[in-house]
Amino acid sequence: MASSYKTFSTNDVVSTKTLLHEAIPLTGTVVSGTYVDGATETNIKNYSHGMFQSVYDYPYLSSSANHIFDITIGYNAGSKMSNPAHTQNAKKLNLYNQMAQVLVGHDSDGNIRAFDEDGNLTEGSKINSAIFLNFSRLLTKDEIKKGSFSLVMAVGQGHEKAASHTEQITITDDNAQNDYRVNSPAGDYAILYADSTKGSDLLADDSGDQKVGLIYYHAGVVVLTSSIFLDENTGDLGGAHVGILDTLKHDVEFFRAGAGATGYESLPEAFTGSAISSSCDAIRQRISNISFNNTTELNSTIYFCRAQHNEFNYSSNPTYTSSSKIQVKNISSDSPISYITTVGLYSSDNELMAVAKLSEPLKKDPTNELTLRVRLDY
Amino acid sequence: MGFLDNSGDILLDAVLTDTGRMRLAKGDGSFKIAKFCLADDEINYGLYDKTHASGSAYYDLEILQTPVMEAFTNNASSVKHRLISISRTNLLYLPVIKLNTNGDRADHSCGVHGASTVHVVAVDSDTETGLSATDTTAGIGVLPGETITNEDSCILVEEGLDTTEISFSYAIDSDLNESQYIVEMDNRLGSLISFTGTSVTVSYIDDDNIASYYLSSTTHGTTMINSLGTTAIDGCSIAGPRGTSLKFKVKASLELNTSQYLFEQVGDTLYYLNTLATATATTGYAEGTNEYRVIDSNIRITGATTGASINVPIRYAKKVKS
Repeated sequence: MASSYKTFSTNDVVSTKTLLHEAIPLTGTVVSGTYVDGATETNIKNYSHGMFQSVYDYPYLSSSANHIFDITIGYNAGSKMSNPAHTQNAKKLNLYNQMAQVLVGHDSDGNIRAFDEDGNLTEGSKINSAIFLNFSRLLTKDEIKKGSFSLVMAVGQGHEKAASHTEQITITDDNAQNDYRVNSPAGDYAILYADSTKGSDLLADDSGDQKVGLIYYHAGVVVLTSSIFLDENTGDLGGAHVGILDTLKHDVEFFRAGAGATGYESLPEAFTGSAISSSCDAIRQRISNISFNNTTELNSTIYFCRAQHNEFNYSSNPTYTSSSKIQVKNISSDSPISYITTVGLYSSDNELMAVAKLSEPLKKDPTNELTLRVRLDY
Repeated sequence: MGFLDNSGDILLDAVLTDTGRMRLAKGDGSFKIAKFCLADDEINYGLYDKTHASGSAYYDLEILQTPVMEAFTNNASSVKHRLISISRTNLLYLPVIKLNTNGDRADHSCGVHGASTVHVVAVDSDTETGLSATDTTAGIGVLPGETITNEDSCILVEEGLDTTEISFSYAIDSDLNESQYIVEMDNRLGSLISFTGTSVTVSYIDDDNIASYYLSSTTHGTTMINSLGTTAIDGCSIAGPRGTSLKFKVKASLELNTSQYLFEQVGDTLYYLNTLATATATTGYAEGTNEYRVIDSNIRITGATTGASINVPIRYAKKVKS
């Protein structure tokens, strides 16, 4: 009996799961400075609601642009920055609470928990004012790979672009693959640590153990304490806002206050007296480099298409015969030959579900057997 | 689609078809891969050079260098020519499916339309009258698409070994005898009906509006599939041992019957005059001149057992002006 389909047995189909990682390098020049038209950064999208800023890898009006991350700031009611008289105070409170609600959750009384410096929600210091970097799913895919995150941030005086700063710290999730937390409703997260990488005596604690924020791997969100731009004597904002920079440093001259202004504002002044977008602009200028690896969870089904020696040796290709005579044979005792270029995977009702193509024809005759391994990823 | 890189290791480029993705999206369990086939769509076996001066190692040199295109996601465009498993290795002849265009075939009017050289489906009664569809002499090759009767023309394909090396009086081997056919056609244009005018249940209509009809000799009987036997048949297109024949008609779709929309969208831009004998780019002929619009399409017939296949060209015609 002639046939052209072969049914899979249970031994011919196997399912597997693979984790794929891609390196995602983001240079500071893309985040700030590459795409400028006059005074406008064309790859930065600000919204009329003013609650966050979107960063693209190309002018966002172009269809070629990809969204890479959003940036915003916020503080909670426990922060001394919170004051109804401050600029966009309600929005800054709302943003903090929204992020905390999603990433930290609620306590047993239903109150939104604050971001905790070390992940121990029952005690210890809280991050009451924060910078949020929300990376797009295009970059993070299923999750950020633990232990791969690195952010180089300029913390020196002045308002130049990050690359020209002589004082930089590197923020990493060092050893997070072995040391991460699971008490967040948004999945795994770990603590971010800062270390001086350019310049000396930058940090009050320069041992590499200085906690500066949290990274939520599944959510693709980085939460940085605003203390990274404050020195350790900044006590007037309350204990939680004591800076991490060495006492020899002054509060970073965070950004220029208004067009044409010659003076600079510190971070507390900017967070309280300026719009969210202005703070976002200043933070972006201080980003020198971001890199991480993303993770894609690949679920695969592998189909082993086995062609035995006595199978698939003839073809229904119209060129296979000439006046019904098989072209690759001279006499009937010659071996039939066929050439495989395509594998078709069918449902039981003969509908073509998937197609696989070989990069070159494979010769099939009664003297050989072939197993073609077709993998479908989901 | 581009060609696959064939400079190094052999790669396998796999994609889900549009139908596969549709079933996956349904989430009702209908996406289940149960079987596979192998195919050789790109191969031209005419390049197999059995007389190559350098010996047998060079016979298939050109075939093995055939560049292979990336996989199509359109299920209707892929896996056209399947490889066949036959346990015997001593076959020298394989069956083919041939369109019988002999107008004098003993018991059927199955010739093609003279001016069009293909089968023509008259999509409404006006067109049937204009093309003399019910006249098996004047309207040879014209299938009435609206008023189906038992006497009309049909499309006839025959399966067997089309060779003069073996006499038709020899019975075809049982494993080469086709008993099931798959007919695929554009469901927007028409549907399959039996020779006697009975509707045939469509098995499946895919996302590209290609309807598939699965026909077997056991369920569709002698009104569609017949054994050709070993005795002489006038006008038979198969020269050697014969398997079966498949005959059918086409009923025009309601849309073709009642509207010119598809003729404008996928039809020929030319207007055909006087029994489709001449074509012109413009309309506006004087009253009394028959004027038609046409859509050219294909009906694909595949033998489910042997894998042999044929594309039957078909022309849907609609009279748009008297």
